[in-house]
Amino acid sequence: MSNETATSARHRVFSFARVCAITANTLTELTRLKVFYVLLLFALLLIGSSIFMAQFTFQQEFQILKDVSLGAMSIFTSLLAIVATAQLIPRDIEDRTVYTILAKPVPRLEYLLGKIAGVLLLLAISTLVMSAVFLAVLYMREQSVLHMTLRQMSAAPREQIDDALRAIRSSALNIDIFPGIIIIYLKACLLATLTLFVSTFATTNIFTVVVMVFIYFIGHLQATAREYWLHEHGSGWVTRVFLAIVALLFPDLQAFNLVDDIVAGAAISLGLFLKTALLGIFYTTIYTLLAAFVFYAKEL
Amino acid sequence: MTDAAVAIRGLTKIFPVPLHRHSIVAVRDLNLRVEPGEVYGLLGPNGSGKSTTLKIILGLVSPSRGRTEIFGRDSRLVESREAVGFLPENPYFYKYLSGEETLRFFGRLCRLGGARLKNRTDELLELVGLTKARKRRLGTYSKGMLQRIGLAQALIHEPKLLVLDEPTAGVDPAGSRQIRDLIVDLKRHGITVLLSSHLLAQAQEICDRVGILADGVLVREGRLEELIAIENQTELVVANASSGLVDEIESLINRSNAKLIERRRSTTTLEKLFLDATTERPES
Repeated sequence: MSNETATSARHRVFSFARVCAITANTLTELTRLKVFYVLLLFALLLIGSSIFMAQFTFQQEFQILKDVSLGAMSIFTSLLAIVATAQLIPRDIEDRTVYTILAKPVPRLEYLLGKIAGVLLLLAISTLVMSAVFLAVLYMREQSVLHMTLRQMSAAPREQIDDALRAIRSSALNIDIFPGIIIIYLKACLLATLTLFVSTFATTNIFTVVVMVFIYFIGHLQATAREYWLHEHGSGWVTRVFLAIVALLFPDLQAFNLVDDIVAGAAISLGLFLKTALLGIFYTTIYTLLAAFVFYAKEL
Repeated sequence: MTDAAVAIRGLTKIFPVPLHRHSIVAVRDLNLRVEPGEVYGLLGPNGSGKSTTLKIILGLVSPSRGRTEIFGRDSRLVESREAVGFLPENPYFYKYLSGEETLRFFGRLCRLGGARLKNRTDELLELVGLTKARKRRLGTYSKGMLQRIGLAQALIHEPKLLVLDEPTAGVDPAGSRQIRDLIVDLKRHGITVLLSSHLLAQAQEICDRVGILADGVLVREGRLEELIAIENQTELVVANASSGLVDEIESLINRSNAKLIERRRSTTTLEKLFLDATTERPES
């Protein structure tokens, strides 16, 4: 067998092992950047707020605790997604590590997938840790309120006690929290891949972060602006195309905000959850493909 | 006819300047061939197009015109890089990884694993003299050590062609000597080396053939001894010659049609003096 044939026999167009190697390395890189301090901040915020909220009624306390926790999780994961992703590729180019990696038989798509998978893994770990802290604090507060109620109602009839305990349990942990957390994670994934896309043509990290901050705010206002536009200009095909482009450039981030409903105690329907989740996966895929397209043609 | 390790035909690279009408021609109609097993030096001043040429060979930059091949394969194809190891100029690797972790990372990119990767890592750390520093993070490595770990990562998948961009830039004479010795050793093992440098004395020591680039144009190319030989001059280096003997040789030359151009005492090089003075010093 000639050398050339041997070489071509060994090479794989796509190798999961290569992507995993880059993912693991990216996760190590991000961990060493001490991004997990954000999680410490989150834990302190929750513990601090739960002490402060001891003066409210249990319904108010649980509502505020969920509101603060899920809101903080959404902001922290979004912030982490943007900051962690913005410097990944520019730093590799600046330090020339990208040369040594791409001079190996590594396709650019695999490099990019490995990098973004590292960020998504970091976001998953962060979301899991924040959820665990949140649920632990919520559980401890629930137990504390249950014990206190039992003590206070020790002389009350059994049915009355059971009703009171049921009311406490239903206003503390409910199943709708979990789809809410998944949507928060998907929103962070969307922001990470959009940041990756911007960073493939941006010249500096600052530019990427500033652009993403703009997109973040516009994305939250986009739905309102779209409704106003449709109201004013009708819904002709020109308007629809224009709005589709705007929606691609500035994703409707408000659509990922299910926290208000969860905090208000409203049930999230399976349809709404699946629709939002698919929207998140769609955006994440599109931005990754766009990033790969730009990076493929990039002169290094 | 065997495939050239590197074949470049009619290569031109033009970089457009944003917001300007003109553009920069980094490489102009370059034709070059590196044969398997040789050490080829691409020489030239800064900005002459050496690094751009190497990047095109490695698929990091796309050519405006022309074609480059590695062992007969279009160098834009990812699989052509199975046969190549690359050490960029002044490489910065991930500082948080140790020397050993760095080699394992690059090995995994080449789909090495298990005992094979472990053995290869040990072998290369030994080869570049970094076995003792294998657990240290690269952030604590000296410039010369970084260059040597860079050379090791370039060799991890046993490539047939090694591309080195300014391999001894910024390295002290002892480190520089180690890298040159390694290159000579690799050549002995049949590995083709294509290196770019503007340090001419070093290139002269190790290169079989050189090409000189100026403003993106290949202005000279050939076997080193042919390029630097002065056609009508001969050097005699004599040891233990008495002054009488030297005078006699000189008068013999004067009696003929030949002309004595210079008579001087042989000297060592400053580099050799430096290396002798700084290595193997007895402990005081």
